[in-house]
Amino acid sequence: MAGRRDSAALLADSRGKRDRVRRGRHKVDALESATGYGDWTMRALGTLMLLAAALSAQGAGADTPHWAFKKPRRPEVPRLGSTWVRNPIDAFVLARLDREGLRPAPPADRHTLLRRVHLDLTGLLPTPAEVEAFVRDTRPDAYERVVDSLLASPHYGERQARHWLDAARYADSNGYSVDSARSIWPYRDWVIRAYNEDLPFDRFTTEQMAGDLLPDATDATRTATGFHRNTMRNEEGGVDPEEFRIEAVKDRVSTVATVWLGLSLGCAQCHDHKYDPLLQADFYGLYAFLNNDDEPELLLGPPARRRALSDWQEREKQLKQRVQRAKKSADADVLGRAQAELRSHRQRRPRVDRTLVLAARAEPRVSHLHIKGDFTRKGRVVRPSTPAALHPLHSAAAVPTRLDLARWLVSPDNPLTSRVTVNRLWQRCFGRGLVATENDFGTRGERPTHPALLDWLATEFVANGWRRKPIHRLIVTSATYRQSSYQRIELVERDPTNRLLARQTRLRLDAEVIRDAALCAAGVLDPRIGGPGVFPPQADGVMQLGQMARSWKPSAGGNRFRRGLYTFFWRATPHPALRVFDAPSAVECCTRRRCSNTPLQALTLLNGPAFVELAQHLAKQLFSSGERDDARIDCGFARCVGRPPSLDERRVVHGLLDARPTADSPSRWLPVARVLLNLDEFITRE
Amino acid sequence: MARRWFLGQCGLSLGGMALHSLEQPLGTGLHVRPRAKNVIFLFMAGGPSQLELFDYKPKLQQLHGQAVPESFLRGKRFAFMDSFFKGRLKLLGTTRRFARHGERGTWISELLPHTARIADKLTIVRTFATDVPNHVPAKLMLNTGSPRFGRPSMGAWVTYGIGSPSRDLPGFVVLQSGPRGPRGGSLNWASAFLPGRFQGVPFRASGDPILNLRNPRGIDSEAQRAAVDAIGALNRQRFDLTGDGEIATRIAAYEMAFRMQQSAPELIDMRGESDSTFALYGAERDRPSFATNCILARRLVERGVRFVQLYHTNWDHHGGPRENLTTDLERCCRETDRAAAALVVDLERRGLLEDTLVVWGGEFGRTPMGEPRESVGRNHHTESGALWLCGGGIRPGIDYGQTDELGFAPVAERVHVHDLHATLLHLLGIDHKRLTFPFQGRDFRLTDVHGRLLRGLLA
Repeated sequence: MAGRRDSAALLADSRGKRDRVRRGRHKVDALESATGYGDWTMRALGTLMLLAAALSAQGAGADTPHWAFKKPRRPEVPRLGSTWVRNPIDAFVLARLDREGLRPAPPADRHTLLRRVHLDLTGLLPTPAEVEAFVRDTRPDAYERVVDSLLASPHYGERQARHWLDAARYADSNGYSVDSARSIWPYRDWVIRAYNEDLPFDRFTTEQMAGDLLPDATDATRTATGFHRNTMRNEEGGVDPEEFRIEAVKDRVSTVATVWLGLSLGCAQCHDHKYDPLLQADFYGLYAFLNNDDEPELLLGPPARRRALSDWQEREKQLKQRVQRAKKSADADVLGRAQAELRSHRQRRPRVDRTLVLAARAEPRVSHLHIKGDFTRKGRVVRPSTPAALHPLHSAAAVPTRLDLARWLVSPDNPLTSRVTVNRLWQRCFGRGLVATENDFGTRGERPTHPALLDWLATEFVANGWRRKPIHRLIVTSATYRQSSYQRIELVERDPTNRLLARQTRLRLDAEVIRDAALCAAGVLDPRIGGPGVFPPQADGVMQLGQMARSWKPSAGGNRFRRGLYTFFWRATPHPALRVFDAPSAVECCTRRRCSNTPLQALTLLNGPAFVELAQHLAKQLFSSGERDDARIDCGFARCVGRPPSLDERRVVHGLLDARPTADSPSRWLPVARVLLNLDEFITRE
Repeated sequence: MARRWFLGQCGLSLGGMALHSLEQPLGTGLHVRPRAKNVIFLFMAGGPSQLELFDYKPKLQQLHGQAVPESFLRGKRFAFMDSFFKGRLKLLGTTRRFARHGERGTWISELLPHTARIADKLTIVRTFATDVPNHVPAKLMLNTGSPRFGRPSMGAWVTYGIGSPSRDLPGFVVLQSGPRGPRGGSLNWASAFLPGRFQGVPFRASGDPILNLRNPRGIDSEAQRAAVDAIGALNRQRFDLTGDGEIATRIAAYEMAFRMQQSAPELIDMRGESDSTFALYGAERDRPSFATNCILARRLVERGVRFVQLYHTNWDHHGGPRENLTTDLERCCRETDRAAAALVVDLERRGLLEDTLVVWGGEFGRTPMGEPRESVGRNHHTESGALWLCGGGIRPGIDYGQTDELGFAPVAERVHVHDLHATLLHLLGIDHKRLTFPFQGRDFRLTDVHGRLLRGLLA
């Protein structure tokens, strides 16, 4: 069969068969072009087609199947007899370096290592006292002790949650042009808690996919379904709500494929059009799982509070009617009194936390295939199904549910989920995944640099009951992780992007963590966890840019100094310090941030109101840290970069202080504080 | 020793330019005699329909509503023509009136009356071809010469190659207008493996083009200078130790930020622009728009910025909501036509046009067949799209390239993305085969292993 042969070509590892793959790619491009529906839909469709084509070819016994579609098997750990090796990770890495004739880097110094592991695990800076204690701690397991305390810190969940929230496209507003506020922060807090409790990833998955359908469903598991409610909502007048509901459901399909299967984003645009009818059915099979829900708001908290709210709402309705009646009566006094009463009633609204959730409909919708992706052109009816070419779906129900889909995603037979998940964890610790194309495990994606290591980690992850903390611990306690990040002459030519891991990589901090680091350095961090979004200062005029001009009243008190992940995220007008440092737009799933380096970032740190304010606080800290200038300079370096200054560095700071002799005061230290908060090293984890 | 080695490797050497340093006047060290100094690239994001704007096809009108004739398909490969759709799509004649303009009587539709008026200054290409029919890859293709990300964009190549006369503003500036930013975002103006300071610097789409330009209260310019100097000195020490090229980029970024603080307020202060200038462009004061960005582009070029790229969304007229070939296309044209033409006129009357290459175009063209959605639109098409070029060594007032009678594909003078890049670099004095950068064991260039210089386009 011609079709079979073509799919085999697609399936074949691309090496040596590029022309055939290219031909396949062209066809995907062609389909995407022809249907022209949103890029993301087609990307998802294309990758699913690719997947199915690949797997059906596997059945045909053609060329070797694509590596990522074979279930990972636990590889042997190389036995090397090197003292450098601390755990199996290192054995795999060193085996590769040996083959390449390269040596690993020396370990990072203790100051750098401590700052690195703090930033990677909790996203906060170590305090000068913590640095001091660690440097002095001569116990052989001093570092492991630090790692364990960081893994147990409640701030661990905050830092790790932010990565997941990128993928979940979390934001605090509805998006599109109207972009009004929404309350879904309890979902964000659920993610933080899940990381802190190390909720096993299979459970983490099922609660978010189907927390409302679990036999032991609670408000917490229902809150978890907010994962799917982070889609945008168009509130423009005149739009067809059904159109945008369907668009959101399709976004959910595409997000599921990206997040769990590592298959939908990027340039994976290969497919064989001869399989179109079948494969389109596969796409809509997934769609049919996600198309059966109502999208309500869940009220949280004790029942009494909820009752108070419904009473309040009832009373509001009555008062509104009274205003209406008073308007008709044309008696100005009566109307004034009614309006005043309504106003004061509205100020007494009981505060009840609320969040957006999915709720399965009693009667599932009938899902159709959409011809050319156009929701107005319904094709045949589709039932919920997973791609036929992948591992089988198990369902006790006559019609499989979202819960079945969730279980299918984290089935031990799934070749992708465990690899994709550990790869992203790895990416956070080294700046790039073992598979560099972390959202494309298809044939167009890059092959893993260390395939055996990836599979070892994936199987270890599942064997550990899908817990992430043990894997995280393995990675950060490896000798590989502890290497120095300094560039080496022999590596510049051989391995400029550090694929072979003969060193660590310097990584610029994420936007939120830059803020967190500044809050730590300035000594003003409010460490409270969770709650509604907050409003740190920002430049004037940002909020006027949306279609609906809104105000941005900076938070006062502790809320002014909360971590970056709590900054209220308006999709249409995000806080500029977030966007300028490459925080995602929250419009679509993001599994790896870009990292730019621009003059606009310099202006943000030098002149942005939030950072100027923090520099002032840091200046006070420096001033009050000692009597002598040198002690204060030491304090500044300790607070900001977690190490003492070199002589040359000290000289530069003295030069800055001497440039304008002023009376000794906190403001004398402001220039120093600004400089420290603007150092490349300050916003980098080395 | 090690330090000097790193400086060389990481591009921190003075100027860091491939062909000549900042200190040297433009023109020395170039491969060929430059015809242009600056580029303004008007990127019509989404893919404007050439069949509604520039490529007049009476035969298409005649066959409107009919299936595509077999003769057009035989032996050809079109992006949208896979068997899945065969037999369903019908040819779509335009409803737009076309007329002949300029001395040569070139066809331009009623949607672009202002562009039509300057027809004699423009070289119109109707055979623009690319490799990939979806937005992000095609945008990357037009910007970087490759549909995959990880390659530097043309603005980065140009500023890397010949630097930028402007010391106080970035050499490569990106301006945006329309309902949203271009798909692909910063990948479109990335420097990739070229040193980071050659990446495009996006000014904000609306409101103040650059936030946080003013020093904080209590910090005067001298104090700011001292801060930037101290930051630079400390960063340099860290760079010597770590050898990380990102630090070099950051040092340059702080220097640029400081200079922008001096120069940008004057740049973005439009009060000096006359009402007649605003009227010429169809711009309104204090209202961000493509037209305002065109004035800003001219001001950037006047101040020596090498490469200015303007993105305007959304030209993706499939026929869906907010993407129809009627009112939505008209709106896009209205938002851009007057200002684009005004830019050419304004540059010319200020004597800047001969040194400034202006390019108008999008990532691909659109299909001769209709695409039925809510209304009938057109789909993406890689084989033939329209763009125009003007100024900067371009032969004015000609038509370059011709498509078949239905507008499917070029019959003469195909202009592939790589050819456009080769020609653009040539006009700037660069041989596209010789502007290379070694990365991962290979010499990369904007045109990869392709690209023909299109001599017919040169004045």
